[in-house]
Amino acid sequence: MKAFFDKIKQNEFYKMWFKDALPYITGAILLSVFQIVTFATTKNPWGVSGVFANWGAWLYQLIGGSVDNWYYFSSPGAQATLEAGIINHGPTWRNIGIIFGALFATLAASGFKIKKLKSYKQVIAASLGGLLMGYGARIAFGCNIGALFSGISSMSLSGWVFAAFMFVGAIVGSKLLVKYFM
Amino acid sequence: MTTGIQRSSSSTRRSPRKKKKNQIPFAIGLLIVIILIGIWLATKENHQALYWMLGLAFGFILQRSRFCFTASMRDPYLTRSTSVTKAVLIAFAITTIGFAAIKYGYFIQELAIPGQSYIAPISIATAVGAFMFGIGMVIAGGCASGTLMRIGEGFWMQVLALFFFVVGSLWGAHDYGWWMRNFMLAGKRVFLPDYLGWFGGVLCNLLIIAVIYVIAHKYGNKKSESELQ
Amino acid sequence: MSKEVVLDCFGEACPVPLVKAEKALEKLEINDILIVQIDHSCAMKNVPEWARKQGHNVEIEEIDDGEWEVIIEKVK
Repeated sequence: MKAFFDKIKQNEFYKMWFKDALPYITGAILLSVFQIVTFATTKNPWGVSGVFANWGAWLYQLIGGSVDNWYYFSSPGAQATLEAGIINHGPTWRNIGIIFGALFATLAASGFKIKKLKSYKQVIAASLGGLLMGYGARIAFGCNIGALFSGISSMSLSGWVFAAFMFVGAIVGSKLLVKYFM
Repeated sequence: MTTGIQRSSSSTRRSPRKKKKNQIPFAIGLLIVIILIGIWLATKENHQALYWMLGLAFGFILQRSRFCFTASMRDPYLTRSTSVTKAVLIAFAITTIGFAAIKYGYFIQELAIPGQSYIAPISIATAVGAFMFGIGMVIAGGCASGTLMRIGEGFWMQVLALFFFVVGSLWGAHDYGWWMRNFMLAGKRVFLPDYLGWFGGVLCNLLIIAVIYVIAHKYGNKKSESELQ
Repeated sequence: MSKEVVLDCFGEACPVPLVKAEKALEKLEINDILIVQIDHSCAMKNVPEWARKQGHNVEIEEIDDGEWEVIIEKVK
């Protein structure tokens, strides 16, 4: 059996489709195609981080909290989504799909490896970075996908404003990273 | 590749060639699980199998091309590399055309244009949020999609980042009302075609992309050229 | 006799491997070799890209599932 799978590794089409990294440009074109598919089928552009607010709300409810009086979740649509639960939330499945799609790609390339946390610095960087991204994405109406990629592609000026200020943030973040988290 | 870098014998001894395992069987096993989940989701309402497929496609593409929105913003400053930045701009340009076509299709049929909730109001909150997001994604080593993709690649650091991303999102949602009352309500939603017409809107968007592309291209080539001399 | 330096970047996400490699290479002399150990697929693309752009000789070796060594020979 192993000999068979080792033979697959030598196949030129296997290398092309599963092993060798695609050029960035190819990635850009493919992502665009699926962005357009997403918009055509779901009537909304791709978004990632809005889902995380819902996950947060479900987690909060799990430990006994309530978000019913929060302005963010006050619309009938948001309430209905929360009530339907995580299993019935399409965008949640899309996010989990990203994890599974990447996992499949890594395994198919025979390049999967568990990367444990290496240092204390990584713990702090990941926690602080995660908090900043979460809070920032909520008040800026999305992340790199929803506010930036989808925003700009929807011809919204907000996408360009987001890009400009995120660029400044990325410079500050780079300085912090090199100074404190490496 | 035969550039023929001569490594001293010490290094060859230092890293003995382990026999590589082959992970393809695991990939096939995972594919079966993925399909089974898809079949189960197809029995449910709200087109969840569709979302599942879209997510899988995005994850696969992101990983296969090592696409990284964080790098597109970070690398120009940190390493002067703009190849990812240029790829992201190309994605913006193609998607702009596709989105405009779909939106225009609804417009000429006099139907409500979909996806207009993504035309967000511009206010201090946009600037502050984007700035925070920019810092966060660089130090956490990935943005929202990047974090999910890297969890798939086996990074525990990103699992932690995701947890705090969720916590931060909840915190942001909690304070959302305050930002809304003080800033967002006064913010303007600017959909370029409303101001420039459909053709003008698309053209304006593409022009901005083109100008940034030229800047990125020239800037990205500068350092290596000057160092070669 | 040229030196050979091994840089352990296992478990590090972008852009840490690249920044570390940049710093390490600065300290080396011409003809020295820097071996960057990486297990992050994105860094696997940007570290070689950066080194080639700088004009150095670059070779990549897959040493295990998801582990690579980027071998950089400093030429200038």
